[in-house]
Amino acid sequence: MRKAIPTFLIICILTGFLLAFQFTTQNKNASFNAVSQRNNNLITIIHDLEKEIANQEDQIEAIRAQLNDLQSTHSKGKLQDLQTTLAKAKVEAGLTPVVGKGIIITIDDNQEGMKANPNDDPNKYIVHDEHLLNLVNELRIGSAEAIAINGHRLITTSEIRCVGNLINVDMSRVAPPYEIRAIGSPKLMIESISMGKLAELENDNYPITIEESEHLVIPAYRGDLQFKYTNKS
Amino acid sequence: MWLVLPLLGLIIGAYLGSAVTFQLPAVYLKYMSIAVLASLDSVFGGIKAILEEKFDGTILLTGFFSNALLAALLTYLGDRLGVDLYYAAIFAFGVRLFHNLATIRHYCLLSFRKKRSMRQEYDGMRHGEYDE
Repeated sequence: MRKAIPTFLIICILTGFLLAFQFTTQNKNASFNAVSQRNNNLITIIHDLEKEIANQEDQIEAIRAQLNDLQSTHSKGKLQDLQTTLAKAKVEAGLTPVVGKGIIITIDDNQEGMKANPNDDPNKYIVHDEHLLNLVNELRIGSAEAIAINGHRLITTSEIRCVGNLINVDMSRVAPPYEIRAIGSPKLMIESISMGKLAELENDNYPITIEESEHLVIPAYRGDLQFKYTNKS
Repeated sequence: MWLVLPLLGLIIGAYLGSAVTFQLPAVYLKYMSIAVLASLDSVFGGIKAILEEKFDGTILLTGFFSNALLAALLTYLGDRLGVDLYYAAIFAFGVRLFHNLATIRHYCLLSFRKKRSMRQEYDGMRHGEYDE
C-alpha cells in the first residue's frame, strides 16, 4: 500500500487542479456575458447618436429661423408675391408648425390582454408599424392636411418602420402609447378610419380613443430635407 | 490515515488551480469538463482499488490518460460530426463514478461491521471470563 501513495497523490492533485480551474473559468464566464456587453456598447452608441441628431436638429431649426427672418423682411412688388408663395409652400411641405381643427387618435398596446394570456404570443397584443401606417393612410384618404405621430411631423418622405420592440418614425424612436394628431376635417377623417382599420383594432381590444379638437398644434418637421437626385422636369 | 491523502491532494491541487490566471478559450471548455470527470473517476477508482488491495499505480495512471484521451477524441469527433458524442463520455464516467462509490461504501460498511462483531465477540469473551 505504501507504493500507492505517490501515484494516488498525483491523481488527487490533478483532480483538484482541474476542478478549481474549471470552477474559476466557469465563474468568470458567468459574470462576463459577451452578448450583454456588446448590447451595452450598442446602447451607448445609439444614445450618443441620438444626442447628436438632436443637436443637429436644433441647428437646423436655428438656421431655418434665420432664413425665415431674412425671407420675411418687408419688400415690395413681385418679391412680396414670391414671399407669400414661399410661405404657403413651406406650410404645405411641413416645415412650419401648424394649427387647425382636427382629431387626436391615441392607441396603446393591449396590456390587459397580454397580462391575461402571458403564454400567448405577445405580438398579438402590441401595436405594430403596420397599424400606424394603416391609420395614417386612412387619415390621408380622409384628406388630412398635417399629421404627426408622438410629436414627429410626417412629411412626403416620412417613413414608419418596425425596429424590433419599437417603431421608428423618420429615424426617431417612438414608444407606446402612440398619439396621432391630424389636421383636417374631423368628420371626414373619422369616417375614413371608421370604415377602415378602426373596427379591426377595436376587435383586437387595443385601447384606442379618438378625440376631436378645435385647436390642434402640430410641430414642424425637424429633420433634414435633401433632394440630391430630383430635378425639375 | 490514508483517507487524508486524497483530501490533501485535492486541496493542494485546488490551491494551484485557483492561483492560475491563464484563461482557456471558450471552445475548449467542453474538453475541460471531460477532463475533470475523467480525473474524478480516477480518484474514485483509486480509492476503490486501495480498499480492494489491488492498487496498481501504472494501471491507474494509464487508465486516466487513455480515458481522458478517448473522451477528448469523442468530443472532437462529435464537434466535427454535429453529434454530441461527448455525452457518451459524460454518461460513462458518471456511471463509473456511482459504481465506484457504491463499491467503496460496501467495503467500508463491511469492514465496519466486521470490526464491530469482532469487538462484541471480544467483549462477550471478557464478560464470560468475569462471570466465571
